[in-house]
Amino acid sequence: MLADDAVLFREGTARVLSEAGFDVAGQAGNAAELLDLVRRDPPAAAIIDIRMPPGQTAEGIQAAVEIRQISPDVGLLLLSQHVETHHAMRLITEFQRGVGYLLKDRVSDLATFASDVRRVANGDCVIDPELVTRLIDKQREGDPLAELTERERTVLGLMAQGRSNSALSTELYVSGKTVEAHVRSIFTKLNLPPDACDHRRVLAVLAFLRS
Amino acid sequence: MAGADVALPAARRVMRVAPWALGGLCAVLVVAGFSLGVELSNLHNGLIAAAFTAVGVFVVAKRPGNREGWLFIATGLAHAVMFFGRQYGLSAGHGNDALPGAEWVTWVGVWPLALVLVLSGVTLMCFPDGRLPSPRWRLVVAAMVAAGALLALASALWPVEYADDALSVPHPLHVGGYETAQRLWNLIGPSSYSLFQLAWVAAVVVRMRRAEGDEARQLRWFAYAVAMGAAAMAVGLIALRSPVPGVLAVPVIPLAAGIAIAKYRLYDIDPVINKTLVVGTMAAIITAGYVVMVVGVGRLIGVEAGPSPVLSLVATAIVAIAFEPARRRVQRVADRLVYGDRPSPYEALARLSTQLSRGGRHAELFAGLASTVADGVGAAEVTLWVGADEQLVAVASWPPPADQRSQLVTGHTQLAALQDGERAHVRRIVHQGSMRGAVTLTKAPGEVLTNSEDRLLHDLVAQAGLVIDNAELGVELQHRLHEISVQAAELQAAAKRIVGAQYEARRRIERDLHDGAQQRLVTLALSLQSVSERAAATGADDDLAAKLAEARHQLSQALAELREMARGIHPAILTQEGLEAAVGFLAERAPLPVRVDVRLQRRLPQDVEATAYFVVSEALTNAAKHSGASSIAVAGRLRDGWLRIEVTDDGRGGADGRLGSGLQGLVDRLATLEGQLTVDSPAGGGTRLRAEIPCG
Repeated sequence: MLADDAVLFREGTARVLSEAGFDVAGQAGNAAELLDLVRRDPPAAAIIDIRMPPGQTAEGIQAAVEIRQISPDVGLLLLSQHVETHHAMRLITEFQRGVGYLLKDRVSDLATFASDVRRVANGDCVIDPELVTRLIDKQREGDPLAELTERERTVLGLMAQGRSNSALSTELYVSGKTVEAHVRSIFTKLNLPPDACDHRRVLAVLAFLRS
Repeated sequence: MAGADVALPAARRVMRVAPWALGGLCAVLVVAGFSLGVELSNLHNGLIAAAFTAVGVFVVAKRPGNREGWLFIATGLAHAVMFFGRQYGLSAGHGNDALPGAEWVTWVGVWPLALVLVLSGVTLMCFPDGRLPSPRWRLVVAAMVAAGALLALASALWPVEYADDALSVPHPLHVGGYETAQRLWNLIGPSSYSLFQLAWVAAVVVRMRRAEGDEARQLRWFAYAVAMGAAAMAVGLIALRSPVPGVLAVPVIPLAAGIAIAKYRLYDIDPVINKTLVVGTMAAIITAGYVVMVVGVGRLIGVEAGPSPVLSLVATAIVAIAFEPARRRVQRVADRLVYGDRPSPYEALARLSTQLSRGGRHAELFAGLASTVADGVGAAEVTLWVGADEQLVAVASWPPPADQRSQLVTGHTQLAALQDGERAHVRRIVHQGSMRGAVTLTKAPGEVLTNSEDRLLHDLVAQAGLVIDNAELGVELQHRLHEISVQAAELQAAAKRIVGAQYEARRRIERDLHDGAQQRLVTLALSLQSVSERAAATGADDDLAAKLAEARHQLSQALAELREMARGIHPAILTQEGLEAAVGFLAERAPLPVRVDVRLQRRLPQDVEATAYFVVSEALTNAAKHSGASSIAVAGRLRDGWLRIEVTDDGRGGADGRLGSGLQGLVDRLATLEGQLTVDSPAGGGTRLRAEIPCG
């Protein structure tokens, strides 16, 4: 299910998602329409533009909050022209699971985007790589990240985007054990207790990055 | 209402006719009295009656509301009655048997004397406005009236005054106890009459001492007349052993009083008094000189047979030699007596410089200048003009115009026109080589500008240039200051509008980019994606796939750049989330670690938020680029309606005086919000940049 006030973008997204094998159950131009559609037939996931009429500020997030109340299983993927840390923090702390926050640009990389939509629908968390890169690259006082190797930084970045260990091993062309070793090393260096849950990992990583 | 409407004109008509009727009655009595002969002992009553009534009628006709005029008429009429009664009695006493009822008519002319004296006294006390000098004088008047009534009653019952007045007509009443009454009368009567005289003289003296301006001038007329009358009486009694000159001089008093009431502005009495004093004194001195020389010395050297021609010659020579020095001295004394506190040249200049140093409005300075000139040179009128030769404007005059609003000549006058006046003295006011105005003054008729007065005038006029210059400078300066402040306010408002419009434009551009270009590019990316899929599905060659991939990459780059640009123009987060979030966002993107501690509790006006945001943005950029700092702190608080936001780094400092151009622009923007930027950047001690913005 799609909600965006820009018709061309909405149609285009619907088309590429259909081509990727998704069933686009409905399209909405604003939050109210979206909520109507969700009530009538809750989808696996809703892809929502954060900035929508009437206020053109953060109506999408408000709609997402209401959808979670109406139908807690609907995955929520929020799109924006630009990604902000505080939005990401708010989304993750508010929804805990089945939520994503991406730049609109990501739609044009269909393979990744399709996978992101599926992960959100499955209850995972997805954070835009640009945001993660920005935070990880940032220099910090007494920066613990400075202790990470180049490889570990890459792994941390992917973790922060919400990837699982298996996804990491696929992405990095390494074995699952290697990934686990990296993750353990990172957690040790960052003084974070290991956790099985992906969104917990994201939360922890982001919380650390924002500290 | 109708009654009042009718009554008012009727009353007015009576008021208009009454003085003439009373004047006519008085004329009839006086003429009838004189037709019975001229009696020296009664002459003064006739003259007083005629003079006071005539002046009273004249004054009341000119100024119907003038109380003093009515008092004059009353005084005149009372004297007319008395005059006629006494003429009647005196004529009958001389054997004119054709006069019936002489006893009673004479009686009417005699007994009111005490009351008439009281009335005359009150009339003189009330000069010139018809009112007593102060309410306390009512007690004096009451005492006078009581005494007068008592004396008049006595005079009405017994012939106590008949002997004095040489009346041979008997008193019509025959009441017992005449001897006792006469004894008491002799004790009280004459002294009471003297006290009545003393009372009005005292009133006039009191009035003169505290009178100012017009009233003083009126009183001077009156006092002059009284003095002349007294002098005539004295000279007559001493030289001629006759009261006739004094009696004949009596009408001078009401005459002078009349002029003082009705015409005092037309004639200045001072020079007349002055001249009288000088001439009188000189005459007395010369006479005395002659008497001493011719009679005294003659006697000493034994010349008894009449005045010696030699002594007369010697006396004449001495008088001729002594005349001019004596006259000058007498003139000086007379000047001091008449003009009183006319200041010395030094005092006049000192007074002017005090006025100048005290400052004040230039109108007051001008008025002060005019009055100083008038006092200093004893001018009757002084006018101060400001301007160049062809366009003089009167700015002050002395005496001050009676009506402040209708004052002075308006419009421009030429200097040549001022010089036309007969008695006018004109002095150009020149300051620093250019003409600033003029002083014109007239002296009283017959008075000339003496050399010392001329010198003083010269000095005062030299100062006048300074006064005018200062006044003009002050006016000009105030005018300029006002203009500047108005312009400054306008500029401030304009700058604020411009900056506001700029922020608004930035917001609009960002929104347009978001809703327009960014959306379209993303959609384009989607289309390109479809094309790629399609190409892959239809088995297109690798070259096409590579080109498509390249295109998508380019597009992705373009989108990223556009996103950055939009953010730079106006961060959406600032509009949407406010300053706290936006500063957090800036900190997050800064290449250095930034500690953020901004707590504002509420949203601020858009312009304030935007300016503060750009200040922090610029400060962070500068710190990262130039300071070599390892960390930065941003602190912001809202207190007492002021936003204070501080960016501190631990770099090398020394940034004073070399604000980046971006920062200079921000100083200007802060100024439009009446805010300010302070940079504290000691060498080696880091840089602290603090912006303070009022936000209501």
